Amino acid sequence: MQESLKKLGYSFFTMFIAVSAIFIVLRATPGDPVEKVLGAEAKPEEIVKYRAQLGLDQPILIQYKNYLVGVVTGDMGESLFKKQEVKTLISKHMGPTVVLAFISVGCAMFLGTFLGIIAGFKRAGVFDNVSRIISLIFLSFPIFSLAPILVYIFSVKLGILPVSEWSGVKHSILPLITLIIPLSAVLMRVSRNKLLEEAGEPWVQVLKSKGLSEMQVLKRLTKVCLPTILNVVAIQLSVVLAGTMITETIFDIPGMGMLLFEGIQNRDYPVVQGVIIYSTIIYMGVYFIVDFCNSKIDPRIQA
Amino acid sequence: MSKKMNKEIKIGSILLSSYLLWAVAWLIYSYFIRGSITAPYFPVTDMTKELVFPGSEGFILGTDIYGRSVVEILSAGLAYSLGVSLLVSLTSASIGIIIGYLSVTGSNIIKIGSDLVINLIFIFPSILIAIMVMSVTGQSFWGLVFALVITGWPGYARIARGETMRIINLTYVESARAVGVPELRLFLKVIVPSILPLMMVHIVLGVSGVIISEAALGFLGLGGSEYSWGAMLSIAKTVLLEAPYMVITLSAVMAGLIIGLNLLGDGLRDYLDPRKSF
Repeated sequence: MQESLKKLGYSFFTMFIAVSAIFIVLRATPGDPVEKVLGAEAKPEEIVKYRAQLGLDQPILIQYKNYLVGVVTGDMGESLFKKQEVKTLISKHMGPTVVLAFISVGCAMFLGTFLGIIAGFKRAGVFDNVSRIISLIFLSFPIFSLAPILVYIFSVKLGILPVSEWSGVKHSILPLITLIIPLSAVLMRVSRNKLLEEAGEPWVQVLKSKGLSEMQVLKRLTKVCLPTILNVVAIQLSVVLAGTMITETIFDIPGMGMLLFEGIQNRDYPVVQGVIIYSTIIYMGVYFIVDFCNSKIDPRIQA
Repeated sequence: MSKKMNKEIKIGSILLSSYLLWAVAWLIYSYFIRGSITAPYFPVTDMTKELVFPGSEGFILGTDIYGRSVVEILSAGLAYSLGVSLLVSLTSASIGIIIGYLSVTGSNIIKIGSDLVINLIFIFPSILIAIMVMSVTGQSFWGLVFALVITGWPGYARIARGETMRIINLTYVESARAVGVPELRLFLKVIVPSILPLMMVHIVLGVSGVIISEAALGFLGLGGSEYSWGAMLSIAKTVLLEAPYMVITLSAVMAGLIIGLNLLGDGLRDYLDPRKSF
């Protein structure tokens, strides 16, 4: 328990450093956002007024304090272009991203682990060889080239699934497939290799010599592989996050990725900052939960 | 050297060397026939010939929306992509090796500091770091390289640290120390050569990773240049209905390169450490 608390403390500390790093990097950006919003012809007094409104005229430490308070209370200021609070923008766009990320991670975990363990168990069999080649090929198509190909096959040629818009289950199938395929391929390779690594351990021999059936051995092997798989999922989360953002821009899904993308294009700093901070916090939270789960599953891993 | 080269290494290196030949041929062609590698490097535009289908009017792979030959934009993209990814991977690996070594042998401050920085960069989603860095440096070639190096080196540093820790207590390193080999010489002549084989595997796999990240940034409009395959793909996807051949050829060429690198990397890993090959 004490170890978990220590870990939680460490997580908060890294989160604090991360949030501060975002502040420093975004303040180091050359170019005044105020001038960008008001345009080159803005009158000096307008600029001064707007800077005061944004709180940019205060000393840097005060700005930093306000910024930290804003992060904690969720008040990230107002979008420079949409005239809406960043908070409301984010909560509006959060839904699709969370749905996409969770469903795809869930499906990929199940699919990838399942296929990987079958492949590893029947090592060097037909299924193993075929699935290795297929996973290698799928890993070599990045999301942004996989998505247009899938759209071409399923929407243009076959006409089964609709593209773009975000309404209903049918519209979410293609984006989900796009996200699930590469993640399953990674997880399949990881779980297969981990299974084979563990299968050579003495404890497996003991179980076998005790007369346990293949299924019972496989069940225990799967349990041992689980922390590694969860860890890879945690590491892959940042890839999933990037993937979701790219998928959203391809399929016109109004999620966080879309918000970030528009924010970058418009140089809408409060929005960019808000999206980055919240994604980082969510990401670190999940990372911590995965760590905690792992220590519960496998007591050898110190929390 | 009695170990047999495995199939992955063979197929991977054949694929990879054909891509390298293609890139070199393109550079020679653009240097001698177009006059310069960088300036008129980008394929000629001819708006009257937009979206010509593959095989017609003398264009083997057709043209894009600006009337540029797809073969030429593929080649320009290949040279650019390989250049960026080699530069980024080699720089990140060098930084990683040095920091990994220092985090084992250096003072406590270096140890704790490098650990913190590595963990921090690891924990951040790397595309967000790249976006932030690109917003500071601006969208340029060097900005892109800088952004990718920043997200790239911690991976190498972790591996280098692990390897250095393993090697540093071995007898031959100890004896080198005992006869008074200076620290720098020890690092260059003893440590680096022992780490290098394993690093090679990760550099090969890292290059394919950088190619994908670079294309992803290009796709989002954050790349350093319009030669980026990602930028081309984002154009190609807008004309998916009229010209599906563009997305298909671009993806296939990119996938071929990535498959080659992944095969070579996996094969080398198995070759170096057969214990872990299954």
